Amino acid sequence: MKKALAPRFAFWGALAAGLLCAAAPLAAPAPDSARAPEAFARLPVLEGGRVKPLDSFARNSLLLIRGTQTLPVDGRQVSAVEWLLDALTRPEAADTYKIFTIDDPEVLGLIGLDAGRERRFAYWQIEPRAEEVRAQAGRAEKVESARRTRFQSAVLNLAQRLDLYERIKNTLMIAGSQDPAGELAAFGEAVPDALHGAHSGGRATPRERAAMKVLAELLERYRFLAGAAAFKPLPPRAGEADDAWSSIGEAMLKPVGPGGEPHPGLASFALMARARRKSDDAGFRQALAEYAVWLESARPDDARRARDEVRFNRAQPFVSGMALYVAALLGIFAWWATRRAEARAAALGLLAAALLVHTAGLAARILLQGRPPVTNLYSSALFVGWVAALLGLVAERAHRKGFAAAGGALLGFCTLVIAQNLTTSGDTMEMMRAVLDSNFWLSTHVVCVTIGYGSTFLAGALGIAWVLRRQFVSRPDPEMTRALVSLGYGVVAFSLLFSFVGTTLGGIWADQSWGRFWGWDPKENGALLIVLWNAFILHARWAGYARERGVMVMTVFGNVVTALSWFGVNMLGIGLHSYGFMDKAFYWLAAFCALQLALMALGLLPPRFWEAPESP
Amino acid sequence: MPRESLVRRAARALSSLKLTLTCLALLMLLVVACTLLQVPLGTRVAVERTIRTFLVWAPLDGGRRLPVFPGGGLVGAVLLVNLLFAQFLRLELSRRKAGMWLAHLGVVLLFVGEFGTALFQVESQMPIEVGQTRDYSEDVRRLELAVADATAPDADVVTAVPDSLLRPGAEIAHPSLPFSIRVRRWYANSELGMRKPDSPPSEATAGIGPGLDVREAPEVASDDAENAAAALIEVRDGAESLGTFWVSNELGAPQGFARGGRTWRFSLRPRRYYLPFALTLEEFHHDIYPGTDIPKNFSSIVRLRDPSRGEDRPVKIWMNNPLRYDGKAFYQASFGQGDRVSVLQVVRNPGWRLPYLACALVALGLVLHFGAKLASSLGGAR
Repeated sequence: MKKALAPRFAFWGALAAGLLCAAAPLAAPAPDSARAPEAFARLPVLEGGRVKPLDSFARNSLLLIRGTQTLPVDGRQVSAVEWLLDALTRPEAADTYKIFTIDDPEVLGLIGLDAGRERRFAYWQIEPRAEEVRAQAGRAEKVESARRTRFQSAVLNLAQRLDLYERIKNTLMIAGSQDPAGELAAFGEAVPDALHGAHSGGRATPRERAAMKVLAELLERYRFLAGAAAFKPLPPRAGEADDAWSSIGEAMLKPVGPGGEPHPGLASFALMARARRKSDDAGFRQALAEYAVWLESARPDDARRARDEVRFNRAQPFVSGMALYVAALLGIFAWWATRRAEARAAALGLLAAALLVHTAGLAARILLQGRPPVTNLYSSALFVGWVAALLGLVAERAHRKGFAAAGGALLGFCTLVIAQNLTTSGDTMEMMRAVLDSNFWLSTHVVCVTIGYGSTFLAGALGIAWVLRRQFVSRPDPEMTRALVSLGYGVVAFSLLFSFVGTTLGGIWADQSWGRFWGWDPKENGALLIVLWNAFILHARWAGYARERGVMVMTVFGNVVTALSWFGVNMLGIGLHSYGFMDKAFYWLAAFCALQLALMALGLLPPRFWEAPESP
Repeated sequence: MPRESLVRRAARALSSLKLTLTCLALLMLLVVACTLLQVPLGTRVAVERTIRTFLVWAPLDGGRRLPVFPGGGLVGAVLLVNLLFAQFLRLELSRRKAGMWLAHLGVVLLFVGEFGTALFQVESQMPIEVGQTRDYSEDVRRLELAVADATAPDADVVTAVPDSLLRPGAEIAHPSLPFSIRVRRWYANSELGMRKPDSPPSEATAGIGPGLDVREAPEVASDDAENAAAALIEVRDGAESLGTFWVSNELGAPQGFARGGRTWRFSLRPRRYYLPFALTLEEFHHDIYPGTDIPKNFSSIVRLRDPSRGEDRPVKIWMNNPLRYDGKAFYQASFGQGDRVSVLQVVRNPGWRLPYLACALVALGLVLHFGAKLASSLGGAR
């Protein structure tokens, strides 16, 4: 009795411990949650076509510019939103933060920075040469993206990051403005006199003429702000269209509406900015609290959704998931080393916890975005890993050898790492361009194709397990090998089904939107290659040309085909489906493919070939 | 005995799985080649050279070419024959194999559909400005020499010559034309410019040709580039020359001549497909996400008028929602001129439904087959 109970305890214990660890960032009180930046982070703004909390905007911007979500300043980690607050209100401080990552030596040369191994620079270091960077970027922009040189891509990328940073600085107030609240007051005072003067038919008093001059200058500044703003913080008021958010500049320029009063957010943001400039924490908090109260009454839904998204950002389920997948993998290794049932149960408990956290993360994204799980390259990576881990856990129940679980955990971890690296290209919940704006096709075609990717990778992981076992495990275990091979075959069949259905559904979508079922577009071809390769494996097996070794080595090649189809075709820079050029990923992809080919070669060599033949 | 055995051997070879595997491997290589060639050649030309051909040709010096690889058409045809033979000779007709039958039948339909598309699909575009009415679509990839009898004030009588006939030395005559046209030069792509003082003398004698400098240019293949074709044509009445003209799809102004009380006009223009009905663009919408320039939707509201069927109704064409009418489908493809012009893609493909059926069959077949296998393997495990 006791013997049967221990593994069960181990499983549930590991599961619970894993979930608790993942939930910790949510449950733990945020570092002083009443602190002003945390409350500021929850304010909703419109940017990139959707309403999001400032927290998301801050994180995405810092990821774009620096590649990280936090920033060390004077030996302290500064959160993304604190950085954003400084850039918005105290640009002279933010200009000294080293946020611009520049790797390209030629771009460094252009700016005249030779900092040895330093790769991160502050705005003030780049500013003197910013015009030159912009000029070079303008030239690079005219070159087709696939044909740009490394320097051209790098300089264009730097110019875009500089532009984003400068727009952020000019969102709440003109960068370096001393007293935005004072300006607002001056504007309000100048308006009546200036209007009176303007309608006096040239007989304006000196006082009115002065007011007109002040107003003209301020209008000029607000016009500039309206054009420069990085996001729109002011929500539509009652009676306005639901997407009529406005920037500070736009709200100032808008003729005073029938209600008569200016947008209440204008004063609040100006007060917040002034308080922040003067390091008046109490004043900042008060202005923020007043605005939050107004927001809660005027836009309760936006406020709630923004709070939910901040919670999701803080929970970072995919980071916890990553750690749990590693823990599960280590658990499986421990099981293989000790052969103890408790170790197996604990490992599976950890894997289940990882999968649950991963699932929760995906579900949260679906809810926040109102979209099926896969909408872009980032989310496809999340989903591929999820499919592989889920399939691995299910397959583990059929063949209790640990390989399926290990493969699932490994793929879950790897794809989350890939996803993490893809976050540096901006908002991962971006809006879908016209043709893609179809939840029906996103949830059928895209999901099926992505399931096909995930399962083909799982088959490949099993193939690798087979190859490694054959070379490095001395004790033959025919039952284990049989389990691996039959599992591999089953997963290939599963992949064929999903990749075929997914690919042809894509054809039907294409027929609905472009008038052709099949256009031999690179992404379509990539999907077709996966289908053909899986069909090839199955037919080779049915015909008897490939047996155990042939099938397992071929599944490893499936990794190459899938990786090229998933990422490789995006690097061609053409086609209706391409997501953009990623030159860094190219080297990783090449290394991955080379590794797979090496593993295939290892699989084709005789087992334990390096050992001297046993002497007779 | 030898005869029968020969037939049997051929049948066996055609139904062999070795042939299947060879064809699958060749097809994969072709797909890879097609994908990689799209970078330099553009999608259309890459597909024409690798997939929609029976042999892949490598160009040699001196304009000759050498077949280097079986093309998609050949591999597909062999695979189709192989599939049919294997299906009927090898696969037993039983409930156990029902899934395989369905799946392979679906694959056959997919192949047939793709062959049908290659043979019968006609793609063209219809750009319409808001308020304008159109009863034809155009194929910018193919041109035609339109010879119009513009004598009558209200309607032209057009005789169109496809560009495939415009080859140097060709003599074109038609009962509707009281003259013949001799093609003296044909450039698939050209550079057109105004003549400069140092330009060589123009070969044209009439129209705007004498003022033009026309030079042959290498043909461009990429998907968004357009060739400026040019033809030097001589209009003849028996032995008498009535004038030599340069025509090009880049030249907007009409050219022509008058003879015997009739006025004739020439133009080299995208090939037109006339429709038995007309579309009027009433509205065009280009929606964006708020605060961005990311397109959210494009939609055209057109009025469809077909007197022969008594149709006169508004239709909304937008992303993923084409208008299907009279065997053709009209898709929202593009737009231009500050959202004043909507470009509809017009596709006629009689076999467009085949892939839908094929996909359903394959999916059903695979689910049946693998489902049965899974059930039996799980049953066996217990």
